[in-house]
Formats: sequence, C-alpha cells, structure tokens
Amino acid sequence: MSETWIIIGGWFAAGLTIFMFSFLYKDNPFFKIAEHLYLGAGMGWLFQVSLYDVWIPQVWDPIMQGKLLVIVPALLGLSLVAQFFPKISWVSRYGFTFVMGYGAGLAIPAVLSTDFMSQVAGTIEPIFKIGGTFNTVSAWTSAFNAFFIFFGLICVLFYFFFSVEHKGMVKKASTVGIYFLMLYFGAVFGNTVMGRFSLLYGRFDDLYFYSSSKYFYASQIIALALVIYFIIEHFTSKKRKIQQEAK
Amino acid sequence: MKFFKRNLPLVLVFIVGMVTLASYYVPHRASQEVYLDTMNKWVNIIAAFAFLLGLLSLFYSHYHKIKKKADGWGYSLFVYIGFLAMIIPAIVSEGQQLDGPNLTSLGWAFRFIYNTLAATMFSVLAFYIVSTAFRSFRIKSMQAFVLFLAAMVLIMGRVPLGDLLWSKILGWTGMSLADLVEWIMHVPAVAARRGIMIGIAIGAAVISLKIIFGIERQYMGKD
Repeated sequence: MSETWIIIGGWFAAGLTIFMFSFLYKDNPFFKIAEHLYLGAGMGWLFQVSLYDVWIPQVWDPIMQGKLLVIVPALLGLSLVAQFFPKISWVSRYGFTFVMGYGAGLAIPAVLSTDFMSQVAGTIEPIFKIGGTFNTVSAWTSAFNAFFIFFGLICVLFYFFFSVEHKGMVKKASTVGIYFLMLYFGAVFGNTVMGRFSLLYGRFDDLYFYSSSKYFYASQIIALALVIYFIIEHFTSKKRKIQQEAK
Repeated sequence: MKFFKRNLPLVLVFIVGMVTLASYYVPHRASQEVYLDTMNKWVNIIAAFAFLLGLLSLFYSHYHKIKKKADGWGYSLFVYIGFLAMIIPAIVSEGQQLDGPNLTSLGWAFRFIYNTLAATMFSVLAFYIVSTAFRSFRIKSMQAFVLFLAAMVLIMGRVPLGDLLWSKILGWTGMSLADLVEWIMHVPAVAARRGIMIGIAIGAAVISLKIIFGIERQYMGKD
C-alpha cells in the first residue's frame, strides 16, 4: 500500500469514527450511513473468512482432489438455503438437525465435565487441602477463601433451587445468595465498562493520530464539517417547523 | 412424505447426537480423532453455509427496501457498498491481509473500514453503559448497594486515580485496591459464577437430551 492509500485510509477511519460518534448528539444521516456500512462490511468480512477458510480449502479443494465425502456436509449446508423456498423449506431440516444433534451430543459431556464436575471439584478440593499448621496469614486466608466460596456457592444454588418454597432457612440462604450474585454482576459490569472505555481510548487515540499534518488534519476537518452540518440543519429544521405551524 | 419431512430428520438428530455423545466416552482413536475431527470440519462447513443463509436474508430484505423505496431506502445501498468494499479487496488479495510487511488491499479495508467501524460501534456503548449505570445504580436496597460497590471497586481498581485515592484514604490497611479487586474476582465472584455455571450445565444437558430424543423440536419449524 502506498503512502497515499494510507492517508486516504486515515481520512476514511477518521470520518467513519466521527460519523459513529455523531449519534451521541442525535440521530443523523451520517451515522446511518456508517451504521449500514458497518453491517455490510461485517458481512463482507465474514463472507471472505468463509470463502478463504472454509469453502475453498475445505470444500472446493478436496472435491478437486477427488475426496468426495465433503459433498455430504456441503449438501447439508446448502439444504439450509431451502428456507427461502416455502415449498421445499422442510429440506433445510436436515442441515439444522445434523448441527443440533452434533451440538447436543457434544454439549452433554462437555458441560457436565467443565461446567458441572470441574466447578464442584474446584469448590470442594481446596477445602480438603486445608490442613497442617495455621501459622501463616496466607494459610488462614486460603482456608477462609475456600470456605467462603463453598458457602457462597451453596447460597447461590439455594437461590436457583425452586423445588422447595423459599421460606425459613432456605429464604435466608437464598437472600445471601443474591448478595453473592450482586457482587458478581457488579464485578462483571465494572469489567465491561472498563473494556468499553479502553475501546473508546483507542478510538480517541486514532482520532488524535489522524489529526496530524501527515494526514492533512483529517479529524479536525471532518469534525468541523459535521459541526457546520448540524448548525445548518438546526436552523433549517427550525425554519421548516415554523412554516409547518404557520400552515 | 411425512417420513422425509419429519421422521427422518428426527432419526438423524438421534443418531448423530447419540454417536457424538458415545464418542466422548470411547477412548479409541477412531472416535476421539477421526470421528470428532471429521464432524468438526463438517459442522464448520455447514456453519459457513448457514452464514450464507443469513447473508441472503439480509440482502433480500434490503433489496426489498430499495425496490419499494421504503423510508431510508438510500441507506440500504450502503449495506451493499460496505459488502463490496470488503469482498473486492479480499478477492484481489486472495484473503491475505499482509504481503510481507505491507498491507494488502484487504488489510487496508479491514484496518481502515471494518475495524474502525466495529471498534467505534462498541466504544459508543461506553456512553450508554454509563447512562444506564446512572439509572440502574440508584441505591434503593442493600442488594443494589452491593452491586454498585462491586462495580465501583472494579472500575476504580482499573484506573490510576483509584489507586491514588485508595492509598490516601485506606492506605493504612496495608491492602492495595488491586488486592481487593483480585479478591472480589477470585472469591465471591467465583462462588456466584460457579452457581450460575452449574445451573447452566444442568439446563444445557437436559435440553440436549430433549433434543436428541426428539422431545424438543421447535428448531424444526412448522410443517
């Protein structure tokens, strides 16, 4: 890529970023253009990934080499497109059922192993490892943490346990479980916020980068043009409103 | 015809589901490597075609919008423009983003168009997430206070200002804010996450069994 293309790219990136951010002021045509471009570009990206990672190396090339077994998944995949034709839409069931069957068969041992057994073991194991002399702070801390996790997990499970009415001790345990859940949700929320903000810093950093003389002040010029558009749009829409009210 | 429309797909889901389930417990090379590897490749191929279904559906709906000149039909054109802006460079550069140290046309389109749009779209959510937080963090109960406190500790723990304030106010405790964040993430949050994961695991296993045995068949649609 020549330097000119990189500068043009900088203008594109600065423009699209500012168009997206313009929605924070209000909905406008520039945001809508960027939004629809994103949708199309996202689809285009996934299409090329499918083309160069799946269709060519995993379907086309094997068929050309005489490995005809890949025709089976290709046909099952193509059967999904039958959804567009009401008369033969039932054909798409073969593709769906194959994926559902495989997913279901794979999910049972996987979730039972990683999400169930491993979690139960991970909770119980540290408790059994507690032992020896408690002559260090870290030994006491580990023991406390192990019991705290165990206690918290039992309380959370009580909250999700609907086979008995939540009253008495069950209600108390489930209430404590809610506090654990709130702590977790709060922590996840905090992490998500910070993740989004790090993306935001990245965008600001890019805008700053494209505001340099090397990029012919792309960020400033586009931002200024958008501000001028909003000012003009504000007055013209106001004028239009007055004319409509007068009618 | 009913056999091909309804029964055969159910037989297929049962056989594929049971064989896949059994393959996990059969410690033979044929089941662990050959079967699962082949099936993974097959599912990847089917998923790629499933994407095609979504793509055609999207194109179809925007084509109709343009054809009927519905409200905002002009924007629909940009869906196709965005698509072509990725596909043409991809074909030209044969799916490669880099040619040695230089960007290919696909790499250019990815960096300056797709990546820019995706990152900005998600970063805009930062503003909405904060405004949502402002509304949802109204401390009306003790539980809401715990939610707020955990979120604030996590947020403050990730910025230098938080460390600075902590060391000024609570530095005497000998514990840093990073320690507290780590404790929240590794102890109470783990307890709650495990509870949720165990619940999800049981639910997923039950639903999977229902799918294999044909009790749950909503995914097949109507006749």
